[in-house]
Amino acid sequence: MRPGARDAIFAQLVDAGRTEQVTARLTDAIILGVLAPDERLPSESDLARRFGVALITVREGLAVLRDSGLIETRRGRGGGSFVMRADAPHSTLVQARLRGLAQVDLSDMAIYFATIVEGCAQRAAVRASRPDSDRLDLWLSGSDFATVAGARTNAGGFYVELAVLSQSARLVRELIRLQAEFGPLLLLGMTDARARESLVESNRAIAGAVRANDEASARQLATEQVRALAEWLLNAKARIERGGALNG
Amino acid sequence: MADTIADCADAVSAFFADAFADLDGWRNDLAGGQSSVRPADLDAHVEGLVVPALTSASPLFVGAGFIAAPGYVRGRDIHFAWWLGPQTGNPLLGSSSSATRLDLATRAYTDYVRDFRTLEWYQVPQSTNQTHVTGPYVDHLCTCEYIFTLTMPVRIDDDTPMVGVVGADVSVRRLEAAVLPLFLAADRPLALVNAVDRVVISTEPTLQVGQLAPHSGNSVACSGLPFRVLVGPDRLPRL
Repeated sequence: MRPGARDAIFAQLVDAGRTEQVTARLTDAIILGVLAPDERLPSESDLARRFGVALITVREGLAVLRDSGLIETRRGRGGGSFVMRADAPHSTLVQARLRGLAQVDLSDMAIYFATIVEGCAQRAAVRASRPDSDRLDLWLSGSDFATVAGARTNAGGFYVELAVLSQSARLVRELIRLQAEFGPLLLLGMTDARARESLVESNRAIAGAVRANDEASARQLATEQVRALAEWLLNAKARIERGGALNG
Repeated sequence: MADTIADCADAVSAFFADAFADLDGWRNDLAGGQSSVRPADLDAHVEGLVVPALTSASPLFVGAGFIAAPGYVRGRDIHFAWWLGPQTGNPLLGSSSSATRLDLATRAYTDYVRDFRTLEWYQVPQSTNQTHVTGPYVDHLCTCEYIFTLTMPVRIDDDTPMVGVVGADVSVRRLEAAVLPLFLAADRPLALVNAVDRVVISTEPTLQVGQLAPHSGNSVACSGLPFRVLVGPDRLPRL
């Protein structure tokens, strides 16, 4: 798992309504499959430090998740908060989440996310050395995009790799923050085998553009990749609003 | 003026030599031990060595520790005994006013094994038996800063395989503060670059930190480091 996909779940929070933010961040990660069943969450004190909130805020947030049946707390040695194994996929919760978000907000998030990823891809193409390109290819060839869980993790991981190649610490930080906010939703389309296939093709093309130091192509390919993910999401929302299923 | 340029290269070498002196102290301390150790004993030992260096008034390092080779720590594959200095607004780790252990239980262990960039700091000292400077690179696994990672192999005996590496992370910002005045004192633009010609410090405005520098002119090597100072580097027409 890469920071972009998972550690970002626990990235620092901002603004008011912090209990709601803790709840929303962890709920998204669980229902959208970034945190797996039976996985243990970090300790309450570690969560408090990493979210940058008070311990009581974390406890309140975890209580909401317990009441929703998303986590359970086990006592004793090896205890802690664990992601519950759901009897069925969390499709009802995912549908509720998608209904709750306005089209205008989904589109806006996609535009901002695309802008950051485009910048990362372009700068990576300008700044990658030959050994950097070799490492990116190795990373990509060793990454699973065939399974849903693998594709979700590694799609986010690839963005982080691009950000790292941009040599900009701020781009890396912003990308990680954005993935925490929007990554699990944006990558909802990874349940779709065709979407996974086109994503991995797109990633290979971006890696090729980075190797060729072709900044215009890298940028364009990143634009198209995020657009495809956003379109999948908006289509799914429309299907759900019409009373249909998540996967059309 | 040639002397000034040599001074720049020497100052960079001296900066890293100071840092490696700390690592050398840790290495000598660890090399006196047994051929295998218990995890708790090793962790306490390393913590006692590196935490003072991370929490001093103006720490040179943003992170430091020891990464054990497979088999050295009983019952473990690769073992990380790594501490991070006080963090402010770290997007991954939050803020802390004291040194914190890099906690692999809450991080994805495979990141470290799969990350070929960070493995450079393990593999090069292993294969060369020499100290190594990795970077500059954005450390997306720990600090999210632009850093160098300095590593040094640790061996119990000269003729046995290494039992791990001692290492420390230094921010590029810290090096810049130490040597930029000397670079600015030269009468020609200069750029410090690493082994792939990535710019670390530059007084040529078209060459920015992090870029790859095209260069056709003279350069002065920094002794003991995979770095050199480009003299009058080629100007770049754009970013």
